[in-house]
Amino acid sequence: MKRAKNVWLSVLGFALIAAGIYLIKTVPDPQGIMRALPFLLVGFGCGIFGHGLGELLAKKAAIVDPETARRMEIDQADERNVMIGSLAKAKGYDMMTYVFGALMVAFALMNASWTVILPMVIAYLFVHGYAIYFRCKFEKEM
Amino acid sequence: MKNRLEELRKAHGIRQEELADVLGVSRQTIGSLENGRYNPSILLAFKIARYFGMQIEDIFIYEEENQ
Repeated sequence: MKRAKNVWLSVLGFALIAAGIYLIKTVPDPQGIMRALPFLLVGFGCGIFGHGLGELLAKKAAIVDPETARRMEIDQADERNVMIGSLAKAKGYDMMTYVFGALMVAFALMNASWTVILPMVIAYLFVHGYAIYFRCKFEKEM
Repeated sequence: MKNRLEELRKAHGIRQEELADVLGVSRQTIGSLENGRYNPSILLAFKIARYFGMQIEDIFIYEEENQ
């Protein structure tokens, strides 16, 4: 079941890449959305294709070498590795808070359009709201 | 927190890889525990204690003045 899903993801990703390249080659003077769409297709296609193929290859590698697959499973669930991953993500989140904040101030000082600044502020507040939501949730659960 | 993990492991004649396999953790975790760079969760501490047939406090030595 999961194998079929990964095969379909790989095919879909490849089709998106092909469609993007086809549009780039065949539309000589793109206007409006067509200026960005082919590159978006290639970008999404690469991501989906890479994910699908990566999962397929990982499954194949697990069948060929079950010992390595078992070790990888242990490494993924290892409490120290999980803690390191969580700490690194927390550090990244802290840094993102400062970098996004500085970026918004810089855009505001440059008199950038509100159509640029407002989505950034909404995204910034959404991320912090998400963090607060999970803090409250975990406070109740733990 | 100090621990006697390295001493006990060597006394049992097992390698870090083997202990890691039995406990279901990575070899690096065993190395970090032995060096005192990482303190285990209570579940891992129980697993280690059970493996060596000892009490947790016989393996992990809590030092209040360092906290």
